[in-house]
Amino acid sequence: MNKKMICLIKHSLNKKIKTKWFVAVNILLAVLIIALSNIDRIISFFGGDFENKTKVYIVDNANVYDNFKNYFDENAKALEDIGDYKVSKAKKSKEKLKEKIKEDEIIIEINTSDTNYLEAEVTSYNTISMITSTLISSTLNSIKNDYVILQSHLTEQEIASLTSNVEITKTTTNPDVDTYKDSEYKDILSSGIITIFIIPFFIFIVTLTQMLGAEINDEKSSRGMEIIISSVPAKTHFLSKIIASLSFVLFQTLLILSYGAIGLIIRKIFSGINKSGISNVVSGYVSDIFKSIKSSGLLDVLLKGLPIFIVLIVVSFLAYALLAAVLASVTTNIEDYQQIQTPLMMIIMAGYFLAIMANAFEGALFIKIMAFVPFISVLLAPVMYLLGQISLIGLLISTIIMILTTIIIYHFGLRIYKVGILNYSSTNLWKKMFNSLKKEQV
Amino acid sequence: MLKVKEITKYYGDLLAVDNLSFEINDGEIFGLLGVNGAGKTTTFRLILGLIDKNHGEITLDGEKIDYNNISNIGFLPEERSLLTKMTVLDQVVYYASLKGMEKDKILKELDYWLERFNITEYKDIKIKDLSKGNQQKIQFICAVIHNPKLIILDEPFSGLDPINVEMIMSAIRDLKKNGKMIIFSSHRMEHVELFCEKLIILVHGKSVLSGSINKIKKDYQKKNIHIVGDVNKEDLLNIKGVVDVSKISNEYIVKIENDSIVENVFKYIKKCENITKFSVEDATLNEIFIDKVGEKYE
Repeated sequence: MNKKMICLIKHSLNKKIKTKWFVAVNILLAVLIIALSNIDRIISFFGGDFENKTKVYIVDNANVYDNFKNYFDENAKALEDIGDYKVSKAKKSKEKLKEKIKEDEIIIEINTSDTNYLEAEVTSYNTISMITSTLISSTLNSIKNDYVILQSHLTEQEIASLTSNVEITKTTTNPDVDTYKDSEYKDILSSGIITIFIIPFFIFIVTLTQMLGAEINDEKSSRGMEIIISSVPAKTHFLSKIIASLSFVLFQTLLILSYGAIGLIIRKIFSGINKSGISNVVSGYVSDIFKSIKSSGLLDVLLKGLPIFIVLIVVSFLAYALLAAVLASVTTNIEDYQQIQTPLMMIIMAGYFLAIMANAFEGALFIKIMAFVPFISVLLAPVMYLLGQISLIGLLISTIIMILTTIIIYHFGLRIYKVGILNYSSTNLWKKMFNSLKKEQV
Repeated sequence: MLKVKEITKYYGDLLAVDNLSFEINDGEIFGLLGVNGAGKTTTFRLILGLIDKNHGEITLDGEKIDYNNISNIGFLPEERSLLTKMTVLDQVVYYASLKGMEKDKILKELDYWLERFNITEYKDIKIKDLSKGNQQKIQFICAVIHNPKLIILDEPFSGLDPINVEMIMSAIRDLKKNGKMIIFSSHRMEHVELFCEKLIILVHGKSVLSGSINKIKKDYQKKNIHIVGDVNKEDLLNIKGVVDVSKISNEYIVKIENDSIVENVFKYIKKCENITKFSVEDATLNEIFIDKVGEKYE
């Protein structure tokens, strides 16, 4: 890399980084990311009624309280809501409790029945939430089963056989299926992880194209381009802009990751202090996801495709940057650039939505084909691979297509760029650009 | 020496520069004249290699101009080419670095030029906050700070007041003394006349007049006779070979076809009274330009 290119890259990066806006945006991002990493603690700090437990009073006329409590706690634990309820046996009659019932109280009267073995009447001040209602129903059904079995005078062995789960043996004939563990694996992918991975790519590609276009247009509209191109070749200028923009995106990504790391460090520092129920839930949720990723085999698949992912991402970013630079070079002002880059934005959007929808439309040939289409493939192909809809070879082919496309864009884009950056008129624009493609010397 | 040999440039079907040739020696100031669209800027762009020529050759000191020797050229474009959000210091450092200069040297040279143009206080001011004239001074500094052999100045005096024009002119004269080749375009013929040794006039990309200014003026047949005294305009116009008579203040300017008419005019003047001035002068460059360009323009 020669001195002049380093000078151009340095200038370009300084122009982006040494601004008040960059500092302001990054302060805001740091605060937001650190706050989001510790949102549960912030909520706890301000207080609220999330610590208040729903009190469930059991008016037990069927002698099933202990059984009810055991099942209720078990079900609540499964729903990760155990900390939200307090079940106790009522010491007063239902009518007396009803007279002074509060917002967070539920009264359940359980009676025996000649026809249905057990009956229950649930009373509350407000409408009961769906989760609580489901919890109560499933608990009552469970104790009813036990009650019926008990009334049937069965042996312990008979009871154990009756209540045990059906043994299921899963067999698949697809030879590729052992690379991922089917339903559990896909549940993890569809639970939002895909979206979490795709959104940063989407944001960074949009930022990259916008920034690159604005910078080239700025130099063009101020006519500084004539001085610059009379000092360095168009090719050097072209590459310097691409390298500077990609470096900036990389730098910004690292900054965002470091804000996240700071947020997690703060979380760790305060983990022993004032640990609320919400904190437990969040920590548990995150660690559960990691455990699931590992146990489901997703991590193995991810690691196997990682080198190709990285190549595809780097090449695609490069291709987007090249295309943005070429488009910016042929426009004469930022407004024109905004218009001309609209199709590019639509392609990015298409990739984004297809990637999100890929799991829902499993097996769709259209989506499978789109995974090989340059510019869309960076968002779609990795997702399709993780979902098992394309193989590792498929991912590789998609990457090779993207590499070839990038080479073609570079080769012909550079010719357009050289003519475009010194063109200040939109008259016969397409003719000029078409003619530039015929020129060999750049 | 800059040697431009038979260069031709087409923009599509439009012939922008037509078989143009000229040479500039070290320490020479060369004027490239023409109306708007005559091909001046295209010629500059061809010299700088910003656009490809269809035919011809351009060499600087015998070598083809490319990015290996482009730092030997300084360029001041017609339009403001400064990045207005930058400070004067950053702007000059940026452009000079692209010419291969080291930062220490840039800072030293910048201080010299800022002092010379009496704008040292603007070093850390953003370009956008400078007046047009001061922006042009900065643009001039950017063109010459790297001590190039050839300096291309496209309308260097545009937007400048008379004091600043004189300041830039003085700098150009010093650069000439230091052996620089200077090629510049201007619509102001008095500027060209003041310090150009050679010039070329372009019409539709083609040279219609070229050579040293002295020779051009000498070869130009039409002269002006300046007379102060009691003369009759109609009598002057009746003399054969007198093209036009105009009066500015108390002075008559008599345009004649060639030197041979002077004698007839002088004979008439001898008959008149109170003659205090009779002076035969060459036509101005402006007159020559209008005459030559006007002939070919339509």
